[in-house]
Amino acid sequence: MLTALKSSTEEVFETMVFKPLVETPGAPGDGSGGTHVVAAVAFAGHRCGMVTFTSSLTAAKAITGAMLGMPEGDLAGEVPDAIGEVANMIAGTFRNKLAAVEPASAISVPAVTIGSDFHTQYGSHVRRAICPFEMDGLPVAVELILTGE
Amino acid sequence: MRFLIVDDSSTMRRIIINTLAKLGYNECHEAANGREGVERLANTPVDLVITDWNMPEMSGIDFIKAVRSNEATKSLPVLMVTTNAAEDDIVEAMKAGVNNYVVKPFTPDTIKEKIQAAVKA
Repeated sequence: MLTALKSSTEEVFETMVFKPLVETPGAPGDGSGGTHVVAAVAFAGHRCGMVTFTSSLTAAKAITGAMLGMPEGDLAGEVPDAIGEVANMIAGTFRNKLAAVEPASAISVPAVTIGSDFHTQYGSHVRRAICPFEMDGLPVAVELILTGE
Repeated sequence: MRFLIVDDSSTMRRIIINTLAKLGYNECHEAANGREGVERLANTPVDLVITDWNMPEMSGIDFIKAVRSNEATKSLPVLMVTTNAAEDDIVEAMKAGVNNYVVKPFTPDTIKEKIQAAVKA
């Protein structure tokens, strides 16, 4: 499943962000030290869980500018919708890859959080796996959270 | 050629408009959901509609059904751009009356090919 999530993320960045990702070893930062953006898309049905996309605000602005073909200095409030759309496409592509081999799950609309010095607490019964990447030297990450068996 | 882009994401509307501009199409109108799309079609003539699936107030599927049930727009080519790509999704969209289907993420070449196919149909 992680392979499907990684390839979905790379596909979205190559096709819609026009910036290739480089897979990096180890876990990304803990979210402290500056403003971060987290976009989450839940899925339910055959499998239940969530896909999240996390980056610094700096990386989020770079992604938004690249997607929209706008200089970062001209951005005025587009970041939440753009990063939500990135998460939506990653989760949707991931869902479609799984749907080729098992019953399809439904995905939610994206929820985007922007802030600093925050963390997300999940129940102890969930399984989590983080896939860290770099985009132009800036760390970004996707995370898969699964509930149930 | 005149387009109506129906998508609740302003980002996706902008991406589609940028893509159409690269293909030489510069007349685009916008709506943020199916209801707005129906209202826009009532007073803005267009040659092709590009719509999302999952939207608040009126979904893309309900929007396409509304387009097909209106005498003035029942033959209008409609292209759906969505992340929903499971076989059941495509069958549901085709039953609703969509002419062609683009799965996100997409390239300009894919959009061009699907527009040409939808217009010829």
